[in-house]
Amino acid sequence: MALEFDTSDIEYMSYSGEHHLPLIMNLVDQELSEPYSIFTYRYFVYLWPNLSFLAFHKGKCVGTVVCKMGDHRHTFRGYIAMLVVLNSYRGRGIATELVSRSIKVMMESGCEEVTLEAEVTNKGALALYGRLGFIRAKRLFRYYLNGVDAFRLKLLFPRPEPDYSDSIKSIADESEEHGDGMPPEERIIQ
Amino acid sequence: MAEADGGGDAKAPLCSSIPSGKDAVWFDVSSLLHRACHDLRNDELISGENFNLFAALSALEIMDPKMDSGIVSTYYSVDEAIENGAAPIPLSFDRTSDIQCVIDIMDHFLACEATWHKGGSLAQTVFSCIYLLRPERTSSHALLHSFCRVIRATCSALVSAVSEARTNEEEDLFTMAYGLPLKVNGDEKCLSMIHAVDETLCRQLKACKATVSKKTVLEDVEPLQIHLDLEEGFCKAVLCRIRFRKHFYHVLTCLRKPQGRGLELAKKHIISCLSELDSMLKTEEFLRQHSACGTVENEDEKTTASGCQPVGFDSTLNSRSAAPTPPRAIKLLSWKRAVDYFRKLLHDLDVICSYSLDPVFEGALRFVVDVQKFQPDLVARAHIQLLLVQDGKLYGRESLFAVICKAALLPEGAKNHDIQKNESVQQLGQLLITLFGVLCANTAWQRRKLGKILQDWQIIYVQLELAFRKEFGETASTSVEQDLLLKVCKHILIWVEEQTYWIALRFLMLGFELELYSTDEYCMVYWYIYIILIKLAEKTHLKIMLSNDSSRRKSKKKKDFVKDVVKDYHVPPAVLFLQCYIHISQGLMMMLASLRNENNIFLCQGPFNTEQERFVQHFELLQKACLPDHASFFSFTETVANTHFSTLPIHNCFKDAQKIAKELRGSFANDPDRLGELRQIEQVAEHNYVALNLLCRLGSLEPSLKISFDFIHHPHFATASVKRS
Repeated sequence: MALEFDTSDIEYMSYSGEHHLPLIMNLVDQELSEPYSIFTYRYFVYLWPNLSFLAFHKGKCVGTVVCKMGDHRHTFRGYIAMLVVLNSYRGRGIATELVSRSIKVMMESGCEEVTLEAEVTNKGALALYGRLGFIRAKRLFRYYLNGVDAFRLKLLFPRPEPDYSDSIKSIADESEEHGDGMPPEERIIQ
Repeated sequence: MAEADGGGDAKAPLCSSIPSGKDAVWFDVSSLLHRACHDLRNDELISGENFNLFAALSALEIMDPKMDSGIVSTYYSVDEAIENGAAPIPLSFDRTSDIQCVIDIMDHFLACEATWHKGGSLAQTVFSCIYLLRPERTSSHALLHSFCRVIRATCSALVSAVSEARTNEEEDLFTMAYGLPLKVNGDEKCLSMIHAVDETLCRQLKACKATVSKKTVLEDVEPLQIHLDLEEGFCKAVLCRIRFRKHFYHVLTCLRKPQGRGLELAKKHIISCLSELDSMLKTEEFLRQHSACGTVENEDEKTTASGCQPVGFDSTLNSRSAAPTPPRAIKLLSWKRAVDYFRKLLHDLDVICSYSLDPVFEGALRFVVDVQKFQPDLVARAHIQLLLVQDGKLYGRESLFAVICKAALLPEGAKNHDIQKNESVQQLGQLLITLFGVLCANTAWQRRKLGKILQDWQIIYVQLELAFRKEFGETASTSVEQDLLLKVCKHILIWVEEQTYWIALRFLMLGFELELYSTDEYCMVYWYIYIILIKLAEKTHLKIMLSNDSSRRKSKKKKDFVKDVVKDYHVPPAVLFLQCYIHISQGLMMMLASLRNENNIFLCQGPFNTEQERFVQHFELLQKACLPDHASFFSFTETVANTHFSTLPIHNCFKDAQKIAKELRGSFANDPDRLGELRQIEQVAEHNYVALNLLCRLGSLEPSLKISFDFIHHPHFATASVKRS
């Protein structure tokens, strides 16, 4: 299945305009189960173009990552919405490179953590994110439309020692996290 | 909002199908929309400040079959479907094919019902049946009519059970009945109706058997259908199906009897249900052979025994009116899988019915934890919860304060103490009810909730301490009263601490079942489990000693008492049991630490953060609740840093665990669950002991050794295996 190619031939590019949108949409449509409307793509790439990256091999788009960041319950948080690499290009570090680029921008932009959801059965994605330092923070029961559970993965950036002196207050502030409006997505197979 | 301007190409209003209501008048705005669209190009959107991710995801692309479920609807309304002959009555004028169709409907209902229990919506599963949606239409067909009634009554009973238990997890569609005719007048009589049908069928069966054996028939019975040679087969197929419904409905009714009084009877009906399910499976061959249609070949697609598509179902019918979000096509379970599902459900319900209703808190707690090992689905879990807490009492019998007193090992009389009126004590009772509820939830949700309620238990401890102090100063005037109050307070406080550590332990352990830890993180997880276990054992021990202390004091003089303590003190079995766990987790933690230090494996390294961040995230809730005090990443690294194969007597951890587990067998001779647990512990200890010995001998000298950890002997304690790669 895997193609013979030189990884140095892979070119990475930040999202740079309307002409990239159909490339991203085609890839995601092809590889992910969840259907997204064009508005979902626009929502991400218009508001956070600097967090979206594409990978090209000899002019052909073979991978992409789409992300967002913003305040989430008093935390400035990055969120990886979609990560896709064409089946025949998997296993060569393209996904790792794409997602690492996004995470770097998030870190530099002051994010405290990065999150995403992945299907519990998606061993490739879980291994990839595990290597990058993500933990499986919780399991979300029947999260996807196909009835499969998801893991919420989290990467915490280093920060000063946590202070728990007013911890009771901060817990009380936290409401149930399940329905936080994040879309079900993210499937890559390595 | 918008008016039809009557100009241009606006045609007569479409409102004939949407009549105006009290607060709404409908107009056709197509032309206005049409003109507005000219201002936008394809795929453009007008984004406002409130256009967030949720709004973006809620946007539908009209006519996209993946998103717009409306376009795949066959009929606009139930009435239209009926007009088009989608649900005829009778199903056929040929009485044989009529009965075949009814059997297919019965089977398809089973597939629908199981799919509903497994997370589908009622509207798209059971209530996709047109016959069910128009209750009055079936009245001329006694068999179909009674069957539809019992189906509706069953759904209604289950919706109310699950709603009352509130075990339904967020986003669970189970209880959403929208505007479906779930409660129909007369459904409450479904049992007597189905009973009458049962009797008729019995007579028909008897009559056909008599005819076959050439015996004279006593009464004139009209056969079920027209082919005499098939009469017995069809009678049997229908009988087992309606009897299953009858017994299943009985099971649900018995389970809801107050104070668990119907459990014995429920068990009998469960046995009947299971035997009817077996009979149903046996009819498959017959039904398939005599099916009147082209059958579905793929077993996974078959929702009926015969393999025919059922008449009268349309899952797209409710899609316009029913769901809060656009429904997607759902895949129904096959008939075979549905039968399997019901078998599993009945097995889980049987486990629940077999429970002794032990009024001891720990017993109830262990019962829930044990039932959860079978991974029961929502319906079974809801029923455990309904059984445990009724009218704010344990099993509807024992007041929570009495339960707490018993759990805190206080003497019988303490349960009448006035302190139970104290607000904080009552809050503690509420926490207990919440805890039971949480333990009945699916394990994913359960773990998240357990993590959160830890804080509540920390807070209640402080509140109780303050409340007790206040009571002590205000109400207890005589020394006898003071003594009693002091005793009650001391016992309850220690018990609350013990309970808090128990919750923390369950929180950590569930992480293994949910696969939340990667192998690289096992070392820190076992370290945390180890220190929580030490505190738990300490509190349990203290609680037992406190109670022994009181009873001894009562019965002996002081001089004898001191002598006795020295002479015949034994560590209680409950504490030794925890000691086993302590040894195992310590052994695992040290084995992993040595592997990290000497072989450079199982290390948490990543480009963006360190092990400390992983530690903080995994144990944040425990750390916030100070469970235990002074447990920190620093103390973890300190413990781990100096652990090497050569320098530690780690061999003994597993050996010790094995030894205690063996000795404990006698103490739990009457408790098969605990004995099973002890056996598992022994196996984990034994295998890890062997693996460790091998590692110590070869260790860092052999880089080709491959070490892996799995959970073949115990769900929470890993077993190491060492292989040469």
